[in-house]
Amino acid sequence: MNFCSARPTRASRLGRGAMGAAALFAAVLAGTCIGETPIPVLTVLQTLANKIFGAAHVVDPIDVGIIWNYRLPRAIVAACCGAGLAVSGMVLQSLLRNALADPYLLGISAGASTGAVAVTVAGLGAGAVSMSLGAFIGAVTAFLMVALLARAAGGGVTLRGTGQIVLAGIAGSQLFNALTSFIITKSANAEQARGIMFWLLGNLSGARWPDVWLAVPVAIVGLGACIWYARALDAFSFGAESAASLGVPVRVVQVVLIGLTALVTAVMVSIVGSIGFVGLVIPHAARFLVGVRHGRLGPATALIGAVFLIAADVLSRTIVPGQVLPIGVITALVGAPAFALILVRGRRRS
Amino acid sequence: MILEARNLGWSVRGRAIVSNVDLAVREGETLGLVGPNGSGKSTLMRLLAGIVRSTSGEVRIRGQKLHGMPRRQAAQLIAFLEQQAETTEAISVRDAVELGRTPWLTPLQPWSDEDDRVVRQALADTDMEGFECRSWATLSGGERQRVHLARALAQQPQLLLLDEPTNHLDIQHQLSILKLVADLPITSVVALHDLNQALGCDRVGMMSAGQLVALGPPRDILTAERIAAVFGVRATIVVDPEDGTSIFRFHTA
Repeated sequence: MNFCSARPTRASRLGRGAMGAAALFAAVLAGTCIGETPIPVLTVLQTLANKIFGAAHVVDPIDVGIIWNYRLPRAIVAACCGAGLAVSGMVLQSLLRNALADPYLLGISAGASTGAVAVTVAGLGAGAVSMSLGAFIGAVTAFLMVALLARAAGGGVTLRGTGQIVLAGIAGSQLFNALTSFIITKSANAEQARGIMFWLLGNLSGARWPDVWLAVPVAIVGLGACIWYARALDAFSFGAESAASLGVPVRVVQVVLIGLTALVTAVMVSIVGSIGFVGLVIPHAARFLVGVRHGRLGPATALIGAVFLIAADVLSRTIVPGQVLPIGVITALVGAPAFALILVRGRRRS
Repeated sequence: MILEARNLGWSVRGRAIVSNVDLAVREGETLGLVGPNGSGKSTLMRLLAGIVRSTSGEVRIRGQKLHGMPRRQAAQLIAFLEQQAETTEAISVRDAVELGRTPWLTPLQPWSDEDDRVVRQALADTDMEGFECRSWATLSGGERQRVHLARALAQQPQLLLLDEPTNHLDIQHQLSILKLVADLPITSVVALHDLNQALGCDRVGMMSAGQLVALGPPRDILTAERIAAVFGVRATIVVDPEDGTSIFRFHTA
């Protein structure tokens, strides 16, 4: 690993930013073109020109429908979820100094599942509450319980108490997972159980424009906060006490960033279900590629997460003809070997 | 008076770890803190650094209350080296030293050439030039401690607090770190285990059971009677025939 690359100039940083934006655009474009019915890139670009700039290209209305109503919002939501989950994972790994931390550590995915199941299977909210809203409420409830437990156990009080947060998260996750299983085994029929199983592993097929308008700002706020606090996150390299002695208001940074990652994760999970693997592994992959400084690591993590989840979504739609696989299955099936490769190569280079 | 502690105390669950400490650190001096394990040295250091909030009394830095001061401002005045801070991150020596600039930077006030200059100077002051690109994992204990010191210097503090900086180092590195600190034109408070090393400080404070029981010139403070009372060992003074310096030899009581 190159430990001493030259400090990037303003021009080279702009260049990198432009390359990142281009890669993201290319991934969204690819995610829109590829599918059971392949659509030529030109058609997609013409449709975008028509819709966004009011151009008057002649395009098959069926293609337009597929592109504009299904694939494009789906690709954008995938990008936002990938970026949001990966950045959340990175922030938690840095703050808690735990390489195994991921966005679901704080009980969010377990709580979201319970919320979703409570609405769809147990019929909570009497139809007035959507599954997404149920999942969001469940996620936030679980996180608040975990946060309170961690605080009661002394996690938030001392600078050394990050272990308590992890333990509280485990306790919370177990509790809510048990509740989910309880509700499913007690009330769900086979059809509902299958649907829930699908949702639990992550499902992007419901992504539409309203989801885009929710996911995009949330992902941007998450990444923005991470960039704003990049130096503070760097300062946690040697632990919270060291960060404090470097002038970081540790408590404030912890509360703001953990709260924000919880919110980002809760929103993403409520839109697409709990997609595993992304939040745990993408930050590590990004560290191998661009190093540990958060000013660079944050944007790189977001970009890799976004591109990875779009690719995983494309695979989940195309790998078995006529059937859509849960995206969580793909992220783990493809991601685990890819990550193993990065681990081995990173070891050789350093 | 650069740093002043008045009636400083810290207790946890009703148990006093540090109590009634009155201490004034003078401009330019190297103040040694000695005391047995568990006598409250590390806690006192953290209180003086402002990263632990006192439960009684107050600390003033340049006349300003430390508690209530924004962390950033405090870190521009005081650098604190805790015992053996470690990381598993794959960071380079330069990355680690650059962390010292954290209190001087904001998202709107990014890295500048001046910051580069300070980091280079800190590396030069700690004899770590040429190590910039080495990864943390490949450094020896002595090198790591030097990098920590360079990071603290990059903070450009007015006061340096070092908690047992020679811990776990071989004798050569112990002496070189201490010499480095002594030669720095900066006020420092150093917690030390080796009483002979403490003899080299300008003043020495002795901690016992959470209290500062003595403070003054090393030869006045480190007496055989006081060492017997606080550390529970018998100390005899022997003279080095090479330069006539007297040092302690310790015997079980």
